[in-house]
Amino acid sequence: MRFPTFGPTLYGLVLLMVVLGVATPFLPIIVKVQLINFLLFVGLAYALNFITGLTGYVSFGHAIFMGIGAYALGGGIDRLGFPPLLGVVLGAGLGAAFAVGIGLVTLRFRGVYFAITTLVLFLAAKNIVPEISQLGGGVGIFMNLGFQPLAEFYTIWTIVVLEIGLTYWVTHGRLGYGLRAIKSDEDAAKTVGVNASRLKLTVFGISGMFAGATGAVYAWTLSAVLPDTGFDITYSLRMLAMIIIGGAGTLLGPFLGAIIVYVPYNYFQTVQSLLGLQLAVIGALVLLIALFIPTGIVGTIRRHVPILRRYIE
Amino acid sequence: MADLGLVVADLVVGLMLGCVFAVIAHGLNVIWGVTKVVNVAHGEFIMLGAYGAYYLNVYLGFNPVLSVPVDAAIGIGVGFLFYFGLLHRELRGKEAITRESEMVTLVATFGLSLVISNAALAIFKGDAVGIRWTPETLALGPFDVALGGLYVAISSVAIIAISDLFLSRTYLGNAIRAYSQDIGAAQLMGINPARIAAIATAIGFALTMAGGALLTVWLPVGITPLIGATYAPISFVIVVLGGPGKMWGSLLGGLTLGILIDVLPAFGISASIAMAAAFLVLIPVLLFAREGILR
Amino acid sequence: MTARLVARDVRKDFGGVQALRGVSLSVDEGSVVGLIGPNGSGKTTLLNLLAGAEKPTSGTIELNGRRTDGLPVNRVVGLGIAKTYQIPRPFLAMTVRENVAVAAMYGAFHRKAGEARDDAGRLLSLVGMDRQAETVATELTVQHRKQLELARAIATGARILLLDEVFAGLSGDELARSINLVSKIQKELGFGVLVVEHVMRAVLTLSGHVVVIEEGRTIAEGAPQEVVHDPAVVEAYLGTEVARAPT
Repeated sequence: MRFPTFGPTLYGLVLLMVVLGVATPFLPIIVKVQLINFLLFVGLAYALNFITGLTGYVSFGHAIFMGIGAYALGGGIDRLGFPPLLGVVLGAGLGAAFAVGIGLVTLRFRGVYFAITTLVLFLAAKNIVPEISQLGGGVGIFMNLGFQPLAEFYTIWTIVVLEIGLTYWVTHGRLGYGLRAIKSDEDAAKTVGVNASRLKLTVFGISGMFAGATGAVYAWTLSAVLPDTGFDITYSLRMLAMIIIGGAGTLLGPFLGAIIVYVPYNYFQTVQSLLGLQLAVIGALVLLIALFIPTGIVGTIRRHVPILRRYIE
Repeated sequence: MADLGLVVADLVVGLMLGCVFAVIAHGLNVIWGVTKVVNVAHGEFIMLGAYGAYYLNVYLGFNPVLSVPVDAAIGIGVGFLFYFGLLHRELRGKEAITRESEMVTLVATFGLSLVISNAALAIFKGDAVGIRWTPETLALGPFDVALGGLYVAISSVAIIAISDLFLSRTYLGNAIRAYSQDIGAAQLMGINPARIAAIATAIGFALTMAGGALLTVWLPVGITPLIGATYAPISFVIVVLGGPGKMWGSLLGGLTLGILIDVLPAFGISASIAMAAAFLVLIPVLLFAREGILR
Repeated sequence: MTARLVARDVRKDFGGVQALRGVSLSVDEGSVVGLIGPNGSGKTTLLNLLAGAEKPTSGTIELNGRRTDGLPVNRVVGLGIAKTYQIPRPFLAMTVRENVAVAAMYGAFHRKAGEARDDAGRLLSLVGMDRQAETVATELTVQHRKQLELARAIATGARILLLDEVFAGLSGDELARSINLVSKIQKELGFGVLVVEHVMRAVLTLSGHVVVIEEGRTIAEGAPQEVVHDPAVVEAYLGTEVARAPT
């Protein structure tokens, strides 16, 4: 029997996650909370990577799935008496379902039109959901969950590990070939037999599933679902920034991007007047990277430092 | 049964608002139609135009209509900056914009929008401001028409008419139209593509900022650095409705959205849902009439 | 069972323009059919219809008796019909081997990733591109891109290949080598080919049967030498090109 060999990047990431998983119970509360928030960012980055990174379809409104996941958790706990974990599973399921439904319509549109449509759908959801009284109306849903840092941590930890594994599997197998062909030239891909619609829908669904799960965990940490935090455009923006900076479509990119985006976020949290600055800095990074090194940090390293190509992906 | 008077009043408001929407969308339309580039930071330039009008009002007592030429002039400068800073690298020497270029400009302008809106937040602060300008309301039979809105609407239509005349009657205008249809052919006729794209971009920004100035009438207490997030999507929807590159399409799209946003509430639909409906109109149009409603 | 692609009385209108006005032809696995005609005669349109890129306005297209008109492109490829682009469209972000491997994975062969990479290597040797196997497609010359285009179409496992002006721009030794290559591969792998061409030498050398269309209609068909001397054909081409083609 052949033991499959995995790339160094995967080993590195898995090792990192194992270390985090083992060490966290022993870390101070403050660090635990920061790690949870950091992993939320990572979770979002990998989620968007499945669609925008692998196919090149830019989704500006991806936070819609976060909101769906958050409300799934809120509704599940408040109306159906679910335990939080089940709420997260519900968030994942609804995220996937909505993604497939939305994707059936929107993935027919190319490039710019797809991007605008996702934004429009997000804004529509943001306007409509507060009008639904069963979901808490304009006020939102408040859950009495208490502080459960370890449960929250291991939930998001599991989500991220699954994402890393699935990203590796997709990029290394048949699906990865088909997606790269679509990203290069969708019409030509069809002429070699790639069912572009099905492949796009598949990764869009996966992307919605993970974004929904992450959104649910986010609501769990707040013990509340508010229309403003559920559908928060800044998360859409951060998701996109993370994978652009790190390297769209790569295995390491989303993680790296998450670190780069999270650190200023965490630091500037304490200084209110500098909150906007954090986004301005990220915006400047995105602008520069898009103009000069569009494949992001990981992509650029791979292109210009061939020796490292075997180790970093 | 809705009160007919209310519906008509809202319809008039919607139409006036729609005219201003048309101008802010027109800026996007010109750039999109000519360079095929979609400026995600479009909303931020509307916001800058609004702040321009605000400060002109506070320090020089200008009303929004008077601010238009000033904002337009600033817009032209900004447009050239934008072109040579950003677009020139992507468009130079290319016959048509490639898919990769499209993604690059989408992402780059996205980054730009983050920078501008948050820099503005730091400079102008988040408190909402508004222009002090209250011309009387005109009583037309049973209806009251806010004159401010009317002046601005008339200005908007005038601006669009002028830009249409420019594009169809002047040499430069026709050169721009030729370029937007076929860069290669335009070049063969002696048109310098970089010059044309730069000028078109400048015009687009002039329109955008002028539109931002006119918009202030409808934001008596609501100008903030983040209004771009509302008016950019509105502009995108309008351009798609009317058809990218179709000049009068901006007006058609603008009026449609203006009516949706203002008239639906008269029938008991909440303002938020009306807004959502206005946005969602995009989807049937993309599914069934990709080139926009105007043929 | 050998594959047979049949177009029956196919018409195609684009708005007011009638590109095809009732053309019929068939291509069998193992044979080479040439399709020639002046510019604008509808050759590329017909190829697009056969490949599934467009739907005929009327008429049918069948593969082994089963209707393929109206099916999406990727389904048609899955059934065994593949077309090359006149101006090659390789997957620029991928290497030559990967380009061919994708086709092997998603085409009629439907190979697994590992096998597909091996198949790709073998096919590249056959086509004479093994030295470029790990080159990224953006760095290829035009000629290599054309060869890649051909290899990719073959890799799908198609039993009927539709080649759109693969010999365009070639002359002299290069042309002779290309013609020999295509002939050799076709005989070795046994698929059927419909060759759309302007380069007469290639068509006459490779084809067993030639169809001539002009303004959307068939004006002549038969063995290459017969067709070449058919007065209607000579007239359609104004005589110069056809008369000069070496036998």
